[in-house]
Amino acid sequence: MLLKEIVEKRHFNFVDRIDSWEESIRIACKPLEADGTVEPVYAEEIIKCVKKHGPYIVLIPNFAMPHSCEGAIGAKDTAISFMKVTRPVSFDPGDPEKDATVFFTLASVNSDIHLKNMRKLFTMLTNEELCAELLGVTGPEDLLRLDEKYSFGDAARLDY
Amino acid sequence: MALKVLVACANGAGTSLMMKLSFERAAKSLKLAIQNVHHCALSEAKSSAPGYDVLMIPQNFIDMFKHAMESGVSVIGLRNVLSEAEIKEKLLASGLVENNQLL
Repeated sequence: MLLKEIVEKRHFNFVDRIDSWEESIRIACKPLEADGTVEPVYAEEIIKCVKKHGPYIVLIPNFAMPHSCEGAIGAKDTAISFMKVTRPVSFDPGDPEKDATVFFTLASVNSDIHLKNMRKLFTMLTNEELCAELLGVTGPEDLLRLDEKYSFGDAARLDY
Repeated sequence: MALKVLVACANGAGTSLMMKLSFERAAKSLKLAIQNVHHCALSEAKSSAPGYDVLMIPQNFIDMFKHAMESGVSVIGLRNVLSEAEIKEKLLASGLVENNQLL
């Protein structure tokens, strides 16, 4: 359900390599900028947060969740964007567990919709089999196939 | 007794929500009695933590909450905010579980 919505809203991109984590945040925000969900300043807000608090946005090895605060500067709507980078982006040179290839970038101005999105994302990120499959996606058709296969919407309803 | 729980991260809207969802799963599985789980930003948590029984934060922020520990709050730092297993293990180690289970 979340991946299908991501594809329908064109909130996704697939990139071969990105040379710095800062740049990876800017590129991850591009699909959200394209339809006005966020302004370019939003990416810079996220970068500031990571510089201040460290690479905590890499939740588990390979999976990053770039986000600033609710109603943050530059956020105009509530959505999640997906990015897959072929070569891992390093957020901490001393810690390979903080490398990321899958990015779910959050923007939120509405806490109810945001919470629903986060429940769906939580269900996905705690499904190890699905996470393993996400590491291999190469295009939007893969996202739709995984959405169908795992039916997150139904799983989320059963969970909560 | 039902626990008052605070989860906090840098911004209070991303990582802390994930922690809240992980915690709710762990609490359900441990049959823990919960009064409420509030999520917020670190800045708010620094002042409000002493009013809670439990504070959960990503491990790297744990040094910011020595004052909460000293005032008797169970401060739990998580390496993986998505890990129900880690939360369960740390709740069990904290001794909170036996006194706060649903009958």
